[in-house]
Amino acid sequence: MRIAISYPPIINQLGQKAMVSQNRNVQFFKEPTYLLPVTYAQAATWLKQGGHDVFWDDGNAQLKTYDQWLTDLLAWHPDIVVFESTTPVMKFYWRAIDEIKSRSPRTIVALTGYHSMRKPEETMQSSMVDVVIRSSNVDFVLHRLVNYIDQNPAWRLTCPLEGLHIRMRGREVRSTGNFRQVEPLDNSPLIDRDLVSWKNYAYENGNFLQTPGTYATSVIRDCMFGKCTFCRYNGPDLTFSLMSVERSLDEYENLINNYGVKEIFDDSGVWYRGREAREFAQGIIDRGLHKKNCYFGINTRFEYLDEDTIKLMGKANFRFVLLGYEAADDETLQRLNKGYQLQHVENCLNWLTKYGLHPHLTIMVGYYWQTQEQLDKTVSEVKRLMLSGLARTLQVTLCTPLDYTPYHQECIQKGVLLTDDYNDFDMSKLIVRTPIPHHQYYKAIKQMYGIAFNPLFIIRQFQFLLRGRKRDWQFLFTYSVRAIRRVRQHIFNLTRNAT
Amino acid sequence: MKNYKIIDVIHLTKNVFKLVTERPNLSVVAGQCFNLGVPGTSINREYSIYSGSGDLNLVFLIRAIDDGLVSSRLQKMVPGDGIEIDGPYGEFCIPLDKQRSKFFFIASGTGIAPFHSFVKTFPDIDYTIIHGIRYSNETYDSNDYKVGRYIPCISSNPRGESMRITDYLKHNHPPDDALFYLCGNRNMIIDTVEILLSLGISGNQIISEVFF
Repeated sequence: MRIAISYPPIINQLGQKAMVSQNRNVQFFKEPTYLLPVTYAQAATWLKQGGHDVFWDDGNAQLKTYDQWLTDLLAWHPDIVVFESTTPVMKFYWRAIDEIKSRSPRTIVALTGYHSMRKPEETMQSSMVDVVIRSSNVDFVLHRLVNYIDQNPAWRLTCPLEGLHIRMRGREVRSTGNFRQVEPLDNSPLIDRDLVSWKNYAYENGNFLQTPGTYATSVIRDCMFGKCTFCRYNGPDLTFSLMSVERSLDEYENLINNYGVKEIFDDSGVWYRGREAREFAQGIIDRGLHKKNCYFGINTRFEYLDEDTIKLMGKANFRFVLLGYEAADDETLQRLNKGYQLQHVENCLNWLTKYGLHPHLTIMVGYYWQTQEQLDKTVSEVKRLMLSGLARTLQVTLCTPLDYTPYHQECIQKGVLLTDDYNDFDMSKLIVRTPIPHHQYYKAIKQMYGIAFNPLFIIRQFQFLLRGRKRDWQFLFTYSVRAIRRVRQHIFNLTRNAT
Repeated sequence: MKNYKIIDVIHLTKNVFKLVTERPNLSVVAGQCFNLGVPGTSINREYSIYSGSGDLNLVFLIRAIDDGLVSSRLQKMVPGDGIEIDGPYGEFCIPLDKQRSKFFFIASGTGIAPFHSFVKTFPDIDYTIIHGIRYSNETYDSNDYKVGRYIPCISSNPRGESMRITDYLKHNHPPDDALFYLCGNRNMIIDTVEILLSLGISGNQIISEVFF
């Protein structure tokens, strides 16, 4: 069969592109970061290995216009088109699906992603989509589904695969029940880098200090903790799956030796911890990959990695470590179910910094309960951590109630959600009622991003040079230029709706 | 600071122990977990509660892993020691409107913890527990379950038949109308789901929580 895995270019009135392939929150950017959608890349690889023709159709990364993207897609005559949905672009997708179905009625359109998986009936009613895949393990489901469709012309009637909403005739829809929560990740192939044109994603990414960089096949699908109320990976029907250490090491070795990759980031919600983390870092050293001028990056949680593990990771040439800090007050962390205690933040950051890693903090503002006092405390603590050199970079976002997360449900129940228009969920403005005026949160964003221009912060970066690490020189002289550009863009995006 | 006292450490096997702690003044739902941390380490891990939601103390059933950062330290603790407790978290629970359902709980090892919590909290529910263990001394508090409701599947049983959970399910068709709760090792969960689906059980009837 001919399968297109497609990311249409979605451009707003400001000429900004939607970053759909972030797999999480959609944001619009003028100068986008092109992120490889890892699970979909595995899906494409698996289908290709199964003998199907696969069109890796990322209109964003390929710098196409919408019309050019649609023309190219239809000219390829796909049997199946696969999209990934998220809330702020749902209305766009419904229109695009109907356009494809009207111009190519025989093409089967499959919608995946965290919005439609939570509300498949809505998408079935709002568009002519043929099938909604509710599992987050899209690679496994597509592998099974495409083969089934290929061999069964009456698939709509007979397909037994779990977790699907299938259009039968007109508005008639058949559900095949809940999806499989856990899949054996070792069975899904490592990404075929050539198939997905990996170089399109190798340069424009703020997480890379060196390029070309790339995203590794994620070692953990969904989240090992999985309890934070604001995160859409959560839910009573989601748990996590894990890939073996050796297999991930094989991929790193291939990427470094055969593709010349200089930085690898694993975007698993939370990367390995404990024994697996130590085995992985030791494996990098045993294979000599720590001496190949390639940095490694991960997401982790406070209180997950101990000093010995971090020391080993430092030796293995890990650099970028992203930590969800979110806020600096206990009440907020408890309400968010963050599962860590503020008293341990400094220890963790100290260890990371001591062994040469670059901690990156993610912070959110605009929780519906957030007081001025809580906001000020967050700004002041973030400033302290950045100016003292305990954190190297940061990212601030407006807390947007992502569809069907516990936080979203909470906002609805408490009557604080100010809109139900999906277009408003693009993280460009606050959409919940808050105890203090919204402009105070926008001001806090400017203050936190402004830390990058604080003389003390800059002096601190010079002090890091005394440690004699190449990465600190790169951080100051290479990364800072890009960082300033990105900081400006983030401030514009997050505060343009400030009044 | 969320520091509490350890009330007791009850060693059940060489590696498995029950940790009894003071209870935070919070509402707890059976099946939820807490993050436990050893003071001074800045490391925590999630553990499901083993006790009932209304019990005076919290009890956790823990397997100490040889190089485990938290579990091996917790195993060495004694009554009176401090412990950091954060939570509760999680939705691996029995919804109020499902309490009259028929339940089939399938666990491997210490993955039985949430099911013990269910049974202690809701003693009248209609349940069967299938417990995959390696040795016969790992049945832990099997007397806490109603007669005939606890079925151990012992994979290394020198004194009787060795059996895995998957063997049991292949030879004993579970009720079609039950709700299936799976907890523990992810490979056990993957294999068990495959069998249940092949037996005609709907995915809507299966809910899983991976421990490791």
